Amino acid sequence: MTGPTQQSQRIELKIPSQYLYLGVPDAILMELAGDMPCEQKDIDEISTSVIEACTNAMEHGNGMDEHRFVEIYFDIAPDQIAITVLDTGPGFDHEQWCPPEDILRERGRGITIMREFSDDLSFDFAADGRFRVRLRKHLQRQD
Amino acid sequence: MKIKERIRDGVVILELHGKLMGGADAATFNDTLKTLLHEDHKNVLVDLSRINWVNSTGLGILISGYSTVKKSGGDLKLLHVSDRIESIFMVSKLHTVFVSFADEEEAVNSFA
Repeated sequence: MTGPTQQSQRIELKIPSQYLYLGVPDAILMELAGDMPCEQKDIDEISTSVIEACTNAMEHGNGMDEHRFVEIYFDIAPDQIAITVLDTGPGFDHEQWCPPEDILRERGRGITIMREFSDDLSFDFAADGRFRVRLRKHLQRQD
Repeated sequence: MKIKERIRDGVVILELHGKLMGGADAATFNDTLKTLLHEDHKNVLVDLSRINWVNSTGLGILISGYSTVKKSGGDLKLLHVSDRIESIFMVSKLHTVFVSFADEEEAVNSFA
């Protein structure tokens, strides 16, 4: 997955690991959506994905420690939104991960939601050692 | 998240307000359901019209509530699920678990 393109503009956000702040990335995307010529559904889906990435980063990466931060980069281009989410946790073995089968399980849906609502999804470690999730959504133009 | 409670024809309608996302929301929702079940109110309709978004932790709260009510011999159904939340139910296959309605009267009558 590539980073920001020449046409994209970056917004950077840093939030404490508290559920209270999960709405901030959503608010940013919804604010931008009003001025972007794309389907609201695309914005809803990438926003749902980033909320999941941030939820995982807070819960599993940063252990809900409010002194540990989740950093989010939004790279906004006319035809796509790419989002990077960084936490300070140990990451997980995403290649071996598969969704639990019990439909009434109370956990374990976040990655499925991210996969379904993103066009590209990748997990790795950034150069500074932080765990990194990258999501990309291609935007369908609405004229 | 805040919860407003009302009763219509024996069905408890819980209007959830805000975001359903974990943390204190789990205790708020579970405590409300436990109190209702203790008072023998077993038919619960959860109105999501004022919920902006749900994350996977919030889905877990709904599932936990659903399981609790079912184990007590009652039922928990959903009302006014937005397109955004409905799409999350679809990809997580929870549309096969939760019965949802767009019309309150129809939803209340379904418990009869």
